[in-house]
Amino acid sequence: MIPSTLLRKQRLIFGSLLGLILLTIIIGFGIGYSTVSYNRIIPTLLGHGTFKEEFVLFSIRLPRIIITILAGMALALSGSILQGITRNDLADPGIIGINSGAGVAVAVFFLYAPIEPGSLVYMIPLLAFVGALLTVLLIYLFAYDRKAGLQPVRLVLVGIGFSFALSGLMIVLISSAEQTKVDFIAKWLAGNIWGTDWPFIWALLPWLIILIPFTLYKANRLNLLGLSEPVSIGVGVSVEKERIVLLMAAVALAASAVSVTGGIAFIGLMAPHMAKALVGPRNQLFIPIAILLGGWLLLFADTIGRNLIQPDGIPAGIMVAIIGAPYFMYLLLRKM
Amino acid sequence: MVRLYTENLKIGYGERLIVKNLNAEIPDKKITTIIGPNGCGKSTLLKAMTRIISQQAGTVVLDGRDISKEHTKLLAKKMAILPQSPESASGLTVAELVSYGRFPHQQGFGRLSKKDMDVIDWALDVTGTFDYKFLPVDSLSGGQRQRVWIAMALAQETEIIFLDEPTTYLDMAHQLEVLELLQKLNLEQGRTIIMVLHDLNQAARFADYIIAMKDGQVIKAGDCEAVMTHDVLKKVFHIDAQIGRDPRTNKPMCITYNLLRGDKRNEKAATPIYPAVSVNY
Repeated sequence: MIPSTLLRKQRLIFGSLLGLILLTIIIGFGIGYSTVSYNRIIPTLLGHGTFKEEFVLFSIRLPRIIITILAGMALALSGSILQGITRNDLADPGIIGINSGAGVAVAVFFLYAPIEPGSLVYMIPLLAFVGALLTVLLIYLFAYDRKAGLQPVRLVLVGIGFSFALSGLMIVLISSAEQTKVDFIAKWLAGNIWGTDWPFIWALLPWLIILIPFTLYKANRLNLLGLSEPVSIGVGVSVEKERIVLLMAAVALAASAVSVTGGIAFIGLMAPHMAKALVGPRNQLFIPIAILLGGWLLLFADTIGRNLIQPDGIPAGIMVAIIGAPYFMYLLLRKM
Repeated sequence: MVRLYTENLKIGYGERLIVKNLNAEIPDKKITTIIGPNGCGKSTLLKAMTRIISQQAGTVVLDGRDISKEHTKLLAKKMAILPQSPESASGLTVAELVSYGRFPHQQGFGRLSKKDMDVIDWALDVTGTFDYKFLPVDSLSGGQRQRVWIAMALAQETEIIFLDEPTTYLDMAHQLEVLELLQKLNLEQGRTIIMVLHDLNQAARFADYIIAMKDGQVIKAGDCEAVMTHDVLKKVFHIDAQIGRDPRTNKPMCITYNLLRGDKRNEKAATPIYPAVSVNY
């Protein structure tokens, strides 16, 4: 029933984005604190590189590139789902308190953990994940109405409230802490993609492998939820159940991404929005585009960010905000 | 025969009870119209009968089973709903919107089968919207759009169709077009149609069975001869109606009406307001 010209356009855009991601990966391979010349990349990938080349590529660049793409994809998918179930194009994982919930958990752990935090680095994503889940659970409890069920508008409003409250709490926590610890937390909040190691990839990948097909399977229901509640009920969508299940999926995706990258906003807002502008509002068409766009945007932001200032670079979260804020303004202006 | 009825239905928003202990039966394979003044609970009743809102007490029974305990997708194969002024379907083509009506019959990722396609074409054809098949829904006029939404409900292939004020916002010709389409579906295919209408004469002309409601209760239910009487309209709408006959259909119709004098509710407005002047002698 979808016009075939639109299907062809969607495939074309999908292909171009794959190409764009590949191109950005190759460029990203070569540039950085220690350079690897471009004619050495293919031999190194095939196993003929020197120790230094292999170390830079496989232990530094590649994990970071993969993490960045996966996290961008997860945030974009999460944003797509949230925009669908709240029927609000400005919904973003940050809005329902995921970033700030994860942030508070990391801050509390970092400031008050009795053990030297360095040895427990792998605990941080887990903690961030738990913090995000707890926050969403609280928001859900406050937004839930026993008679009317889960109302999307209430969810967004309560989420924004919690988000602000938690950010405030974090400032209180940080203001009384030592400088070195504050530095790490501040970088985490800025989204500096600190989890650049293979285990973090294995922590993120399963969520995407499960939840991308799951969301596409639910695409028709998302289309219906986008129409109106009575219409969805009328054709037999269990609105309440679908909203909860999809919300859980969105939370899991965003929490797992944020837990390794730090606080990154805007990707979950921008990617679905740009995808909808490109191929229209049908979930089965725009979601794959949004996923690729999200992956590419974060990769692009990080590739530029980590090379702008040596040796630490600018955190990807800030780069994304630099790109995202004007886009957000453009959206608002166009809507008026 | 009755497949669908309500038993002591109580519906309310918060503390306020909108529908109070309502018992109504919907005759099978007939057109039923619910009428009543604003706020009498007619739309609320329709929403409860279609599980859009849940009741505080009582049951809605379809085929001997309480609908609140039935699987929602199973119900969607038995009853379709056209909500009051559904929101626009931005960016969708007519055929796509109508295809959403096939949802209860689909499984998995929702690929449309040959049968789905045939039903969609039939629904477009019977509602006279086949020509717009590939046009965006947003580009249609109000009357065309209403028929497209009806086509979506038809694509659900249900024996029962509910419509909440299907003629609102339509001009006279389009109102009649929609009502005649519903009558055709009822006569030719034996579909049970339940709708809320504002226009009494349209209700009398098209309905086999009229439920007249006031303050959340049924005042009178029956065919148009039983409901379109001076007494019933006085009780339901607080009007003094003159009932005549439609010269073309011979159905009863309300030719003209006045507000009731001496009635509590209308008196307030009718009483002239005297200026509060106090004179001291």
